[in-house]
Order: sequence, then C-alpha cells, then structure tokens
Amino acid sequence: MAGHLDTLAKKLALATLPCPAPTTYTDSEDAQDWTYGVPRTTLERLVHYWRTSLLPNWREHEQTLNALPQFTRSIEVDGHGVFTAHYVHKKSEDRRRNAIPLLFLHGWPGHFNEASKLLPLLTAPPASSDYPAFDVVVPSLPGFGFSSAPTKTGFALPQYAEFAHKLMLSLGYDEYVVQGGDWGRHIGLGLAYTYPKHVRAWHTNYPRSAGPPQLLRNPLLWLQHLVTPYSAAERKGLDRMQFFTNEGTGYSAIQATMPQTLSYALTDSPVGLLAWIYEKLVFWSDAYDWGDDEVLQWVSIYLFSASGPATSARIYYEIKHSGRSKELINIWSPVPLGLSYFPKELTPVPKTWARTVGNVVFEADHDKGGHFAAHEVPHALADDLRKMFGKGGKAYGVVKGKDGY
Amino acid sequence: MEQPFNISVSQNTLDSLAQKLAVATLPAPAPVTYTDSALDSEDWTYGVPRPTLERLLIHWRTSFLPRWQEHQAALNALPQFTRSIEVDGHGVFTAHYVHKQSTHNPKGAIPLLFLHGWPGHFNEVSKLLPFLTTPPANAGYPSFHVVAPSLPGFGFSSAPTKTGFAMAQYAEFAHKLMLSLGYNEYVVQGGDWGCFIAHRLAYLYGPKHVKAWHTNMPAGRQPTFTRHPLLYLQHAITPYSAKEKKAVQRMQQLRNEGRGYFAIQSTMPQTLSYALADSPVGLLAWIYEKLVKWTDAYEWGDDEVLTWISVYLFSTSGPETTLRIYYETVHQGNFDEFAKLWSPIPLGLSFFPCEFIDGPRTWARTMGNVVFESDHDKGGHFAAYEQPQALVDDLRQMFGKGGKAYGVVKGKDGY
Repeated sequence: MAGHLDTLAKKLALATLPCPAPTTYTDSEDAQDWTYGVPRTTLERLVHYWRTSLLPNWREHEQTLNALPQFTRSIEVDGHGVFTAHYVHKKSEDRRRNAIPLLFLHGWPGHFNEASKLLPLLTAPPASSDYPAFDVVVPSLPGFGFSSAPTKTGFALPQYAEFAHKLMLSLGYDEYVVQGGDWGRHIGLGLAYTYPKHVRAWHTNYPRSAGPPQLLRNPLLWLQHLVTPYSAAERKGLDRMQFFTNEGTGYSAIQATMPQTLSYALTDSPVGLLAWIYEKLVFWSDAYDWGDDEVLQWVSIYLFSASGPATSARIYYEIKHSGRSKELINIWSPVPLGLSYFPKELTPVPKTWARTVGNVVFEADHDKGGHFAAHEVPHALADDLRKMFGKGGKAYGVVKGKDGY
Repeated sequence: MEQPFNISVSQNTLDSLAQKLAVATLPAPAPVTYTDSALDSEDWTYGVPRPTLERLLIHWRTSFLPRWQEHQAALNALPQFTRSIEVDGHGVFTAHYVHKQSTHNPKGAIPLLFLHGWPGHFNEVSKLLPFLTTPPANAGYPSFHVVAPSLPGFGFSSAPTKTGFAMAQYAEFAHKLMLSLGYNEYVVQGGDWGCFIAHRLAYLYGPKHVKAWHTNMPAGRQPTFTRHPLLYLQHAITPYSAKEKKAVQRMQQLRNEGRGYFAIQSTMPQTLSYALADSPVGLLAWIYEKLVKWTDAYEWGDDEVLTWISVYLFSTSGPETTLRIYYETVHQGNFDEFAKLWSPIPLGLSFFPCEFIDGPRTWARTMGNVVFESDHDKGGHFAAYEQPQALVDDLRQMFGKGGKAYGVVKGKDGY
C-alpha cells in the first residue's frame, strides 16, 4: 500500500488538467456549468485537496473505511475458478434477535462502503422501536473493491448471482433477502429468479423495466397502464430518463464495448479516474452535498482496489454481450419484491412499468433521493425495508425462523 | 500576418512526460476470449491488448522520447505557418497549417484544401504532398498547391472557447484561410470530419469559391423518394454487390462495438478530458485503438504511432479540445443535414474497403453531384496515410486532363 501511496503522490504532483470547457452561460465564470462534464474549477479544487489534505491524512481515512467489519474467503464460480470474495459482514448488535439475513449489492460506480450509513439502522434498530433487525452481508462484486476479478470472458449476471449466492450459503445463510441498486438490482433479480428457494424476497431502489407492460406478458398491468395517466412525478421521471438516455450514457457505451481501451487512462491517471466517477456522484444524486473527503474516499476504493480501478467497467461489456443476461434483467420472478421510487434515480419509470418484473408486495414513493439511495437517504431506505420486512409488512417473516425480532 | 511555424516542444514538457511515463500504471490484461492462452497479444476484443500497449510504452520511454528531437524534425519537414483567422461570433483563432506550393507551376497549380478529422491531424497529408505538388514531369498529371490546416482545437491551431463551434464554423475557418492565402477558388479533399466540413464548404461557399470536392469517406444517407427519386428507385431495385454487403456488415459491427468513443465524446467530453490530458498512456491507448481498428492491416511502426500521438499530446490547446467537435456537431443536429444541404458542385468519391460506409453506393451518391467514383481493394479510414498512391491516382483522374472535374478552378487547371 505504501508503494501505492507514493505513486499516487507523484502522479498528483505531475497532474495535468485540461483547459476549461467552452462557456455555455453568458457568465463565463460559472464553475457549476456541467454541460460538457465535470467543470475544471471544481476538479482542480478536488485535486488540490487530494494532494494537500486527503493523501497526507490517508491513514485516518483508511481507518474510517476499516470501521466496517470486513473479511475475505474463497468462492468458486462454475467455469471461472476460485475468487477471493471481499465482504462486510455485520450481524445484528442484539444477538438475541432472530435477525433477517440481508445481502446488499452495490453497482457501478458504487462499492461495499455504500452500505455504511445503512448498516447501523438495519443491525441496531432502537430497542424501543418495533423495527426488525438484520444480519447484513455486503460483498465487493468480482472486479470491484477488494474481491478478485474474473480472468475469463463471459462472467455475466448468472455468474455474479452465483458468486453472491454461494457467499451467503458459505456464511450459513440458507435463506436470505436481497437489497440492491444499479447492477445490484439486476443481480438481485437474477438471484430471485435463479434461487427462489433461497431468496425469499428482494428489494430495489432502482425500479427498472424494458418498457411499458406488454399485452401478452403482463395483461393486467397493460390494461392498467392503458387507462391510468402518468402522474406529474412520473412524467418528470420520464423526462429525466430521456435526458439520461441522450446525454448521460456515454460512459456505458465505451465500458460496454471497449473497456480495455478506456482502462489505460483510468488506471494511469488518478485525476482521470476522479473525474470519471465524480461526474456520476453528482449527476446521479439528488443535490447531495458531497464533502471532499467523502468523494475522495469513494474514489480511493476504486483506485486502490485489488484488481485496479478499471476492471469494474467490464461488467458492462459482459452483460451487453450475454444474451442470457439481457433476458434476466427483465425477467419476471414470483419472489416477493419491494420497490422504492426516488425522484432523481437515473431512469425513473412509471409504476406500471416497474411492476412488470415481479410480485410487488411493497412500494414507496419519496420526495428526495437519487441513484445512491443507501448513501444519500439511508433513513428513507431503512424505513422502507423496515416497513416491508417488519411486523405488519407484506414480507414479514419470509425467512423461516428469522423474522428480525 | 503569416508566420513560419516550427513545432518546438519545451524541455519542461518533455521532462514532465518522461516523469509521467516513469510512473505509468498499466491495467490488468483483459479477460481471455480465445481458448488459447492469455498471452495472445492480438486479442482486441475488449480494446487495446495490454502486451501491445506495454511494448509501446517501453519504446516510448527508452527510445522515442530520448530521441524526440529527431521526430520533431521529421514533423517540421513540412512547411508550416500560422496566421490569424476570425470566425463570426467566436473571435480570432491562431490557424496553424501546412502550405506547400507547386514550385514548377506556381501560376497554374490547383489550390487544394486538405482536411483531417479525428483522431487525425495535419500530418496525414505528408505522404500525398510530393505527388500532388511535384508530379513527375511529362506524365500528364496535374499539380496542386496544398493547404492542410489543423482544425481549431487540433494540432497547433487554437481552440474555440465558446459553445456552438460546429460544422459551419469549421467551414468558415477553412474558407477564410484559403482566401487569406490568395486562393479565391479552390477544391477540397477530406475524410472523417474533413468530409463533413468539406460538404459544408461546398454548400456554403460553392460554386463561387469551392469548385469541387472529394472524399475518401463516402458517408451519405438513405435516399428518400422525395429528395432523390432516381437514387431511391435505383436503391430499391439494385441488389447489393458482394463488396457492398461486406461494407454494410462492417458498418454494423462498428456500430455495435465501435461507437463508445463517439458516445462519450459527443455527450461528456470534459469528463473524459481529465484522463486524456493527464495520462499520456491513456491518450496513447485511446487513439492507437483507432489507428489499428480503422485501418486495413496497416503496419504501424512504433515511432510512427508515437509521432502521431505526440501531435495530440503536444498540441497547443491539449488533446482534449479535439473531442468537442463531436459534442458541438451532434448537439446542432449537423449529421442529419447531408440530405438537405446539397451542393451542385462536382464531387468525387473513393471507396476503400475498410472505411466505415453507412450503406451501399446509392446512399453515398446522395452527398452531392457525384462525377467521379473509384473502388479500391485495399485501404481503410486513413486513406491519405495508408494508401497515398491510390488516393493521389484518384485525384489525378478526377482533376487531370480528361477528368470530370478538369479545369474547375479558373485559370488553374494544374498544367
């Protein structure tokens, strides 16, 4: 790690910034013009902070990340060999409880630490409350964080699901529930579909669907969709989806086709990596007030990850090139499903669309929050999980003998 | 005021580059796609293979950079200049350009504007120059005066600082450059962005100033019944030739797998800029991938590749400003205008097998008043660089005696 830190310091000292983007505002000094991407003034400030504050104080930040109880173990995935699985495993503080095993799945550019604010709410609910308690497992997906990366082509949704499932089994959780956003949502659905005997319910803050309900596939929803006008919030969501589709998917296009070409730049330039990820942290969240330490800690997980910062991008390539994965992303599963709708999610879909993938037993609407719900609005997300899994909730007691109380 | 120009990279810049190369960090190799061993350095499925890039990096550090002065001198073999060119609403630019006249035929040579694209640059013209400006005596070939600018934001021209600098502005820049050099009438040759800019030049300044144009990237759009009734009919009843089928297949492949760079550059170029500006290795990979994927098995030498990348790395406004042409053009809807902005001036098309062709010949012919077409068995996107002889032959046929665009420029027929 010391070698890493020295190299990082050298690179930051040599960092070359691009010139500012052309002005789009009549007021050319506006540092918040994100039209072309991350504004130079903002990035320059962050780089300066990185060099002069965060990096010199790295050990403190490392300790903060290490506050979560982390482990590694070997997990084999059929046809892909043995992986080092890195994961957080935090059990319910109150050991008398029959805590619900919950698997939390991150996405890109997320990571295991996204769950950090959520964890205490799930593992240590106030004793006076009627909230359930959970045992939470948060892996780094293969190629992310401190898990090892796939070395063979074809590591797609079924493989990520198999990895996560085997991890839960190896921890003694034969039945469990899943929470995920971004790729975590897709893997969650893959898990629910593939292992319905084990995955007793799942929840996502990233309700997605291929499109509106189809007459032949979801006749009732199709009818409902036909006669129910979109709410104002849903219309706004569709606008946001349009914007994202037109302006915000460049990263996905390159990551899904030529991730190796991109990886040279992201691996060699910490500044480049910072910009690449920071853009998402800002665009994809709901006016979240990112602190500099927060941002740089986040990016550091990518920078210092076991297989390098850019191997994570390959998940886009693999899923795009795997017909089976594309099928799994929109497949219907009978496993009970909970949906939380956050207004600044990437592709906010109308409810009739979102309901096409599962047996929806819980829905919640929110006024605030974006793509990184667990990090931005952990209380809101925790509330939803408590309502869904707690006493009186539609998924109460789904895991035999572990109702959270 | 025209000033002679020589590329002269400062020692500071060279030292900084050396330091960055010394701490360069390479990514893990891509996953194995062949059943064969992971050491196959030619597996380009995920992008530039690591062994290949690593080899180039070592060559850069140990050979190319220490001998930079030689490579710089080679670039400076082309006669280069700068002058100020103003573009309406965008201020004054420093225009950097190659200007090579035909010495044995100063009065009669045809003024030709050569336009590069991305990731191209002014030096792409280098192999064409001797053939165009100094053809063998008594061979019956026309001679040309050649002007090859760096587009704004590329090479050693300055970059736009305001949003909205798109095809019309690039055309205005190039046109004013030609006028300022005393070429009131001229012809244009371009590929990649050079093709789109040439198309716009033809529309805006032809036939008064721009008398004919030629492209090695026939782009075109599907003919519609209302706009191109004859081509529409022709397209409807003519089956695709074997070559055309192959070209359409190749285009499909490129669309599915090769458009990532386009998507990011046309939406969030500034976000990408940080990585490309800060990492020479990252920039090398980003461009080198195109040099290999877009050419027809061209055998790139290491020095050749690194010289090419260096034009980007050492450019006046940084490599990142080159990306913005994608953003500006897409946001102005310029690509859809081929069908609408049609010019009657003569147009020549050269078809190279590894170029991206949108569709069959009938599509390409919607680009303008096609008077010349040629087919080649070899060559890709960088035709002027890969197949200079072939491209020169085409220009000679098109503009020479007996050619369909012979004598388009008054009093300058090349002889």
